[in-house]
Amino acid sequence: MKTNIFVKDRVAVVGAGLTLFRRRHLETPRELAWEAARQALESAGLTFDDIDCVVTGTAPDAFDGVHFNGEYIADSGGFGKPTVRVYVGGGTGVFVPVAAWWHAASGLCNTVLAVAEEKMSPAHPHPQGVFAYIWDPILERPLGPNLIWIFAMEMRRYMYKCNTTKETIALVSVKNKRNALDHPAAQAAANITVEDVLNSELLVWPVNRLDISPVSDGAAAVILARENEARRITDSPVWVEGIGFTLDNTHWYNRELAFPRYVNYAARMAYKMAGIERPWREIDVAEPYDPFDYKELHHIEGLMLARPCEAPKLLEEGWFDRSGELPTSPSGGLLGVGNPIAAAGLMKVAEIFWQLRYEAGPRQVKKPVHYGLAQAWGDLMQVGTVIVLSN
Amino acid sequence: MAWKRWRIEDVIHYPGSQEVEEYVYTPGLHGLEAAKAFKEGRILGMKCGDGVYVPPKTYCPDGREGELVEVKGPWRVVTYTIVYEDFYGNKLEEPQVLALIKPDDADHGGLIHIVKVDPERIHLGMEVKPHWKPPEKREGKITDIEYFEPA
Repeated sequence: MKTNIFVKDRVAVVGAGLTLFRRRHLETPRELAWEAARQALESAGLTFDDIDCVVTGTAPDAFDGVHFNGEYIADSGGFGKPTVRVYVGGGTGVFVPVAAWWHAASGLCNTVLAVAEEKMSPAHPHPQGVFAYIWDPILERPLGPNLIWIFAMEMRRYMYKCNTTKETIALVSVKNKRNALDHPAAQAAANITVEDVLNSELLVWPVNRLDISPVSDGAAAVILARENEARRITDSPVWVEGIGFTLDNTHWYNRELAFPRYVNYAARMAYKMAGIERPWREIDVAEPYDPFDYKELHHIEGLMLARPCEAPKLLEEGWFDRSGELPTSPSGGLLGVGNPIAAAGLMKVAEIFWQLRYEAGPRQVKKPVHYGLAQAWGDLMQVGTVIVLSN
Repeated sequence: MAWKRWRIEDVIHYPGSQEVEEYVYTPGLHGLEAAKAFKEGRILGMKCGDGVYVPPKTYCPDGREGELVEVKGPWRVVTYTIVYEDFYGNKLEEPQVLALIKPDDADHGGLIHIVKVDPERIHLGMEVKPHWKPPEKREGKITDIEYFEPA
């Protein structure tokens, strides 16, 4: 049953654009954002003049090396208009269209440009250094943590709880990098085997090099519009059926690491709004957030697209392949296409938009699609953001 | 492979740095108590409505104020990782074991710390105990515990 919330208008996605995902783009952050916005407008047959409001998103300013980075990239059509930047770390990419949705659903704006950008490569000697400042300065920083640690610990816990292996988890990396071969923007597409993943450089056990997404620069944009406007713009609008976002506690070690509660709560919120009662049957295609390979499985379970600890088994059966029962990351995901943080989440939303319009070309999933979802996760491993779309 | 392309040598670039080079942090209200306790070789937790949390927070997850309590263990490994490279990708001389360690007398979470143990021997559920620095060298920091070791 749908929730009885008051929204003035249904809202649809009517266009999407994406830059190439690369390390060390020549373009400045604002040029990347502008390029994605330009493509999204072009795909909807609109110009910057047709846009009422702008929502921008980037993860920490420290990557691009420009403070007020959201405002810096708002050059992509934002001046002279109501413009706001939203920021929930890695979850930003999906939170940008969520915020754009309420701009339109409230009736405040007819058309909203949602653009997300990240240029990680300026941070030297390694963008990893930025993550040093997300840790608790009193209890954690003195131990010299790096970001991969927590994921390694979470992955270990997931392997233990779900009795699964590195071999099985590596299949996610194999699948996503293979899917990305069909993505024109992909940075880390490859035809690899489980052995390649296991034999790649061991960073922090149980995490090897090929278990992780790359450092990337890139931008993505989507256009959202109120129903009347959307129907004028296109014959095939993709409706925003549900949105959800949840924050978990900052102390990640106070949680059961094997199950992503923050994603689960956000998903339940979105499903309730969309009237989805059995997501594992009703969602036809999904883009769960996959910066690490085990994370895709972890998130599939949080999204209730599989029972807890069931995802590794389904993965082995090919359930999540493009030709499978419930294709996940048909784009190639962060592991294959790349991970310019905020832009990567919005790339996932764009992929679902293309899938639901049957415009994904060689990436189009085999089965007929009606409902799709994209999800991201971020902040200090504590925020879940979900958007459910239908055609 | 893909990450070997687009190196800094390939582009015209302009170096920049931030003038703020360091930050200084204060421990916080309950953090101060926890820091004093470290000096005494004790570890504090916070008793909340839904159980004891370690480390102590200023407030409980339900938004209420909790009560500081001492936790004594025994401590067990909840999950762990083995670090082979440092921050910049240099190989460590010896792999370092890091673990999330929870005392049995707390209900949630625990401390992240180094475990001095052969990487082959570490396992989930392993009992460990803190190895403290001598009292005169303690500064009220998490590093007053040098490492945890098998109990």
